[in-house]
Amino acid sequence: MSDWDETGNDSDKRWSGGQFEPSNRGRGWLILLGLAAIFGAVMAGISTRDFISHLDGQVHAVSCSVMPGGEAVIGASGCKEAMLSPWSSFFRTKYWGGLPVALLGFAVFAFIGALAFAVAFSKQITRRDTGFVLLASLVPVGASAIWGTLAATRLGEFCQVCVGMYVASGLMFVLAVVSHFRASPGSGAWPWGRFGLWFVEGLVAVGLLSGVYAMRAPDERKSLDGCGALVSPEDPKGVLLTFPGQGTTPALAVLDPLCPACRSFDERLKLSELDQRLAMKVLLFPLDSTCNWMVKTSLHPGACQVSEAMLCSPAEAEKILAWSFENQEHLLELGAKDAKALTDEITTRWPAAKGCVGTSRSKDKITSGLRWAVENALPVLTPQLYVAGKRMCDEDTDLGLEFTLHHMIEQHANPTAGGR
Amino acid sequence: MGALRHIIPIFLGFTFPAYFVSGWLGGAEASLRAAEPGATNVAVASMAEEGYCTANLKQIVRRVAGACGLLDAQGRGCQPADAAKLVALSGDDFNAMFLPMKERVHIIQFDKKSVDLDEGGRAAIETAWSARGGASFFFVVSRASPEGSVESNQELSNGRAQAVLAHLEATYQDPDIKKRVGLLQLGEEFAQLSTDFCQWQRSRGGDECDEMQINRSAIIAWIDCAI
Repeated sequence: MSDWDETGNDSDKRWSGGQFEPSNRGRGWLILLGLAAIFGAVMAGISTRDFISHLDGQVHAVSCSVMPGGEAVIGASGCKEAMLSPWSSFFRTKYWGGLPVALLGFAVFAFIGALAFAVAFSKQITRRDTGFVLLASLVPVGASAIWGTLAATRLGEFCQVCVGMYVASGLMFVLAVVSHFRASPGSGAWPWGRFGLWFVEGLVAVGLLSGVYAMRAPDERKSLDGCGALVSPEDPKGVLLTFPGQGTTPALAVLDPLCPACRSFDERLKLSELDQRLAMKVLLFPLDSTCNWMVKTSLHPGACQVSEAMLCSPAEAEKILAWSFENQEHLLELGAKDAKALTDEITTRWPAAKGCVGTSRSKDKITSGLRWAVENALPVLTPQLYVAGKRMCDEDTDLGLEFTLHHMIEQHANPTAGGR
Repeated sequence: MGALRHIIPIFLGFTFPAYFVSGWLGGAEASLRAAEPGATNVAVASMAEEGYCTANLKQIVRRVAGACGLLDAQGRGCQPADAAKLVALSGDDFNAMFLPMKERVHIIQFDKKSVDLDEGGRAAIETAWSARGGASFFFVVSRASPEGSVESNQELSNGRAQAVLAHLEATYQDPDIKKRVGLLQLGEEFAQLSTDFCQWQRSRGGDECDEMQINRSAIIAWIDCAI
């Protein structure tokens, strides 16, 4: 027997405090709540669609605006930063890109929306049912609080679509509170069976959608075999910097200290914590024509001087790299305007490099590194990552970084394990 | 009806998202299958190839580099007679080859009857070496002024070229030096420099310069030709 109060004590009205009250009090608020949930589901759907579109490893536009006429954006944006961050998905080493948080949000919003409409159009709306809806609305509110805090404190970027979900969550909570207090109190035993059913249904809806995703997400990736290899990895001249670490898998990062993509890559690598499994060496490849003949214009003016400082003071190279990433915009601006002022700033901050930056010896080191790149026929781009001599494909260096790197490390550790 | 109402939330909460997500995933899979990994038009790191690398220059460089031991890493150098035969050019035409490289040529000057580098000479060699960029060959073309015997000038010319090589090796201890440096010891017999070269980058740029002084020298230059 159903414990849903189909009959009710009153079909249209109930007695309360000496007067009859309509049994559908709160319906309008619940409908509004359902609409807010639909809005949240649309936002989560857009975010999920953007995420899934990147599973092919290609460059796609990301929807950055929820406003009418807002266009999707290709290239760097807060939305892209959010999508590529490790907080955008779970199980990133198990699935390429991971299981997107937005997908779970999509299911939760859709479920709560459907639940709100189901309650709204029941014969009698009581606080017993709206109470459950109120509790359910705490799920997206809690998730929004967590991911909103991460965006503010760790990412420093907000994407409008995500904000749309936060707003929808907040609205749902407010509307759930209002509808709860507007609904009639209800009577009789608590409908625990119905609550349990809804709770299980919610879990099943989210679980099933995750299952569909896990089963249908593309997993045959040719890029896991890498995109080229080092042909002459020996370093007789000592042009590669060694970064201290505890890892054992040999890896080489090709970086430009003033390259924004390198900074993002470095952040993602550190956040993945997989860098701790690598014995990392770094080849400096400044995309600055003042020292690099392979680029015709200085994409990152000043990169040669920062690179020289790192090579002049190898013990501090990792710190200098972190400093240059942190102050990248300022250093780029200075490099473009006044090379001498940049050298002064570098040597003031890093005195060990003083008397070395700008000399023929430091320039020789840069040139030797670039000639090492020629010997190995490296692509003229940064960043690049080579794991055990094998180059990670460019399409795997962002969303699929954890999955691919984990796979490459495991393949190096267990070469007979088969792999892909 | 009541039972149906119970499954509305899960029905709508699952089927609508699942419908869209399945479609998007199918599209991503098709796109992934169509894509080739790493298929981007990115240039590959290579040695420099400047505009002055004419076919004629490349031919001469290759001949000289091969005959002077550069390509087989012997670095033994070429004597004036070898050079004249190899380049198959007149002295003036040979010197004219360096004209497009005026900005990167350094002229290391020596005292009369001396093969010793001074401070300015050492600094100029280091500057030239560190500015090699992606160039393939480093040429040292040494000469002597036409004073004294041909033999003694050949010795001076050899000594000057060796002094440049020795300084490079002592300073950089780079195994590439022997593979990259070619010595052309011209003595007084072939391709003497005119005073026009006094205007070029000289290690004694502040000092006066005449035809005798400019030929007590070693011209050093990287050649940016992918050969």
